[in-house]
Amino acid sequence: MKHLFLWMCLLLVVQQTVFSQAKEPWTNSQLMATKTLADKITSNQTKDLLVLNVGPDALIKGSIDIGAAHDAGSLQKLKDYLKNVKKDKAIVIYCGCCPFDRCPNVRPAFQTLMDMGFKNAKLLDVPKNLKVDWIDKQYPTVQ
Amino acid sequence: MKQLLLFVLLVTALHSNAQNKTLAVGDQAPAISLLQPSGKTLQLSDLHGKIVLIDFWASWCLPCVKEQPLLKAIYKKHANSGRFEILGVSLDSKKENWEKSIQRLGITWPQVSDLKFWNSVPARDYGVEELPFNVVVNEEGKIIAINLHDKALEQFLDQQLTNK
Repeated sequence: MKHLFLWMCLLLVVQQTVFSQAKEPWTNSQLMATKTLADKITSNQTKDLLVLNVGPDALIKGSIDIGAAHDAGSLQKLKDYLKNVKKDKAIVIYCGCCPFDRCPNVRPAFQTLMDMGFKNAKLLDVPKNLKVDWIDKQYPTVQ
Repeated sequence: MKQLLLFVLLVTALHSNAQNKTLAVGDQAPAISLLQPSGKTLQLSDLHGKIVLIDFWASWCLPCVKEQPLLKAIYKKHANSGRFEILGVSLDSKKENWEKSIQRLGITWPQVSDLKFWNSVPARDYGVEELPFNVVVNEEGKIIAINLHDKALEQFLDQQLTNK
């Protein structure tokens, strides 16, 4: 009886882990910390990296403004932009309007990248928003 | 040794004060002087003598958009008294999106923006760290409430505007 209870607890934990992972189109390994990207920009190591804004505005230095991906027009713009990009290209997308649980842009954008077969795509991990997690940390912005 | 410790404490306190720009009830509201969609400048001081709800919002902020019907109801209830105004401060960066949202939501109170997204100057001055965010300012330009929402906001404004 004791073993059965332990097995049930273990099963519940595994189920919870799998479920919480499965509900997002990205995995934890597909998240990039803001500091990682900021360091790459500061040290000019973004030659082979495509940084795309899929939110309200391209605030990060050197990023390309696609537009808010909740809008069908912007999502199409993202598809068109990536049409001729190699599938192994390193890409980072970001929004930063608000935390992920409230953001209407990161999910459709990241799912599009996955559907298009990009193998080296990442989502910038912005826990709160670009003000708190980028501007206030004095990371490089568009002038 | 004591003096050194005091010096370290003082430097730490000054440093944390410099970083913490958050406002408090009783503070004078920082000046706002921005363009309206029409291109005309509107200043917060132009509304002096009224209780002003400064609503920081953006067309891309879903909770802000969801809050607009409540603001509309509050405005309808109190705007005719001549003692109340709402000042919408948008963190939009694209004028077209800002204007479209004002129209779509049927917002009739004054709206201003510097179209700088999270680089917005008033957002920095008011220590806005997430949206929606609001501040209520009294007739003398002093802050009397910070970040009230839903029923709490409605009740607070009812109280301020009916008790005098």
